[in-house]
Amino acid sequence: MSSPKIPEFKAEWKEGEAGRWGLAIDMDLCTGCQACVAACSMENNVPFVGEKESGYGRQMAWMRVERLWEGQYPEVKTTPFQPVMCQQCGSAPCEPVCPVFATVHAEAEQLNLQVYNRCVGTRYCANNCPYVVRVFNWADFAINPIHANPDKDGKLVFPLHNQFNPDVTVRRRGVMEKCTFCIQRIHKAEDQAKSENREVVDGDVTPACAQACPADAIIFGRLDDPQSRVSKLSQDKRAVHLLEELGTQPRVSYLSGGSHGNLG
Amino acid sequence: MERILNLLKKPAIQYSLVIAFLALVGGAGWAFYQTQVPPPQPIQFPHNIHVGLQIQCLYCHPGAQRQASAGLPTEQKCWACHGQLKKYSDPANPVPLEKWPPELQKLAGYVQRGEAIKWVPVYIVPDFVHFNHRPHIAAGLNCEKCHGDMSKKTVATIEQTVNMGWCLACHQARTANDPVKRTKLIECGTCHY
Repeated sequence: MSSPKIPEFKAEWKEGEAGRWGLAIDMDLCTGCQACVAACSMENNVPFVGEKESGYGRQMAWMRVERLWEGQYPEVKTTPFQPVMCQQCGSAPCEPVCPVFATVHAEAEQLNLQVYNRCVGTRYCANNCPYVVRVFNWADFAINPIHANPDKDGKLVFPLHNQFNPDVTVRRRGVMEKCTFCIQRIHKAEDQAKSENREVVDGDVTPACAQACPADAIIFGRLDDPQSRVSKLSQDKRAVHLLEELGTQPRVSYLSGGSHGNLG
Repeated sequence: MERILNLLKKPAIQYSLVIAFLALVGGAGWAFYQTQVPPPQPIQFPHNIHVGLQIQCLYCHPGAQRQASAGLPTEQKCWACHGQLKKYSDPANPVPLEKWPPELQKLAGYVQRGEAIKWVPVYIVPDFVHFNHRPHIAAGLNCEKCHGDMSKKTVATIEQTVNMGWCLACHQARTANDPVKRTKLIECGTCHY
């Protein structure tokens, strides 16, 4: 029996393709409350690194809420809050630079994957990411003693290990990681849809950030379905893509400049 | 360099190099063997007797049909049958506990203490692999395809070296005529996230 050939692990980007999963972020609605950041860290076992490591610039979060300033002091104007996570680029700059193919493009899900067990920690991908959304595990933060309390025998107890999400790998030291669009939830929804003999429909998958957003500013869904909410929002005239001129074809749309937008 | 070559001509050095090489190979072999021997279980559960009585796999491992983990039965599930078996617990003609088979005495002990049986999982994958039983059962695979014929075994043993090559060989062979499905099934993100 001839075994089918494994395709090469590289992004085969076709111009004009919509992608499969996408996010739309309405910056006119975002209040900068950081609920998405907290929810993301809890869903995806992103560790808290503590004060000392943060001082070295090693703090870990798969998304951050950015706020920029425009103009010269004192006539500064703030831009709207802008949550930034991995843009799941269709043509991703992080992928071709990985020497061990640990960051590859998923052809079926159209996402950028980070394969933790392949990653050797060269950090090329993070250096090549124009959105600066990749974070590196500088130590085994999950078993850092700052998370532990000694019990009566002096043995360290890690109470936070009880809130780990079992569907997500706890990353080890020396591994790069980034937003996955909550691929564990995508898989769960696809599995559920398949057991009911149907396609995944809009609303089946909600990543942790979109679920936690109290203002409903983060909308997730199928980009290849023109009727889905996220497709309509990404076609909106308020929608822009971050650093679109680099040709990375990001899957996250930012909406701003509505009638009440840009108040700052 | 010449000094090293001169050293290598000494028989003592040659013998110690051979011994070091053999120790390395032996150690690697022993380490691999350790991953292939079944771990000791709290109760020497005889699968062959239970399968011989035509008890379905899914009666004790029901999770295989609907979730990621197949599950290992609690002591209450064992006792649901064993507490009623006429042979040992007929109220009219009770057999004292000391005369029960030793493994059943252990089970009775667990039930009396209300203590969970700490079964040791045999088929394990590393935590960066997310295996899900449900789609495999839904795709029509039998349990014995991966776990072997349990009607011939007592405690569960590893029938198959569980590695990625084995997973992918089956995923590719079964989707040879369906490129869309094959793309999905051999994608890294299907198991690693």
